[in-house]
Amino acid sequence: MDPDPRLALVVRAYRVLAYVTGTVLIILCFVGIPLQVLAGNLIIVRYVGTAHGILYICYVIVAFVMTRLVRMKVASPGTVIVLLAGTVPVLTFLVELWVTRAYINPALAASARRPAPSPAVGR
Amino acid sequence: MTDAPATPRWRILLTPRWLSWHLFAAAAVTGMAWLGDWQFRRAMAGNTLSWAYTFEWPIFAIFGIVFWLKTIRDELHPAADGTQASEVELPAGAKPGSGPRAEPSGAAAADGLPASGAEQAAEGQDERELAEYNAYLAKLSREVRGHGRWHGLR
Repeated sequence: MDPDPRLALVVRAYRVLAYVTGTVLIILCFVGIPLQVLAGNLIIVRYVGTAHGILYICYVIVAFVMTRLVRMKVASPGTVIVLLAGTVPVLTFLVELWVTRAYINPALAASARRPAPSPAVGR
Repeated sequence: MTDAPATPRWRILLTPRWLSWHLFAAAAVTGMAWLGDWQFRRAMAGNTLSWAYTFEWPIFAIFGIVFWLKTIRDELHPAADGTQASEVELPAGAKPGSGPRAEPSGAAAADGLPASGAEQAAEGQDERELAEYNAYLAKLSREVRGHGRWHGLR
């Protein structure tokens, strides 16, 4: 049985945004800011910084939906780390690995196991 | 389980832990709104880069409110857990009473059957006890499943 298509779609969107946002943030922090500080060149900070801001908004929304679908607690350190990862260089990559192992894979497997998610009340 | 709490459910939102969460959320949202306003003033003063942040901060503030509301919603209405019960699959004979010789075994032991019969009776007794224990574990597992998952601030 295939996993829930909605879950699969959200997970894919989360991964894409995690990697794109993470890459843009690395460029911003390790290329843009040194250029600004050392060379007074604002061009990368200006455009890449704005791009990261917009990407991070998308990342937060998609990542939050993802945490809901894989049943992470709302007010748990895990959820907060996932959401804030988009503002710390390199962290999105590590968090994506961790969340895949701890939550996404189990959720995908569980959704594949029971095709019709009807609430089973007692037996 | 469904035992009715003595106090209404929303009262948990007034515990010190929750109150500090409400305060933190209010402070954070206010701070983000203030940052948005600050960026707006900077943008009006001629800093074009600030236009992007003028719109970003309010979006973050709205997200903060949604996040706060979700924590409350999850506390008051824990989601119906679709994984319940369906995961605990007992083997065929592992239900109390349905095991092989569940009932006759006791009678056989009382009748003083030959050694092999008595052994089988003892075996049946063990199996029944094991089945009952398994059912008990399964019941506990069902009851506990989902606890804590949705209760972030307990």
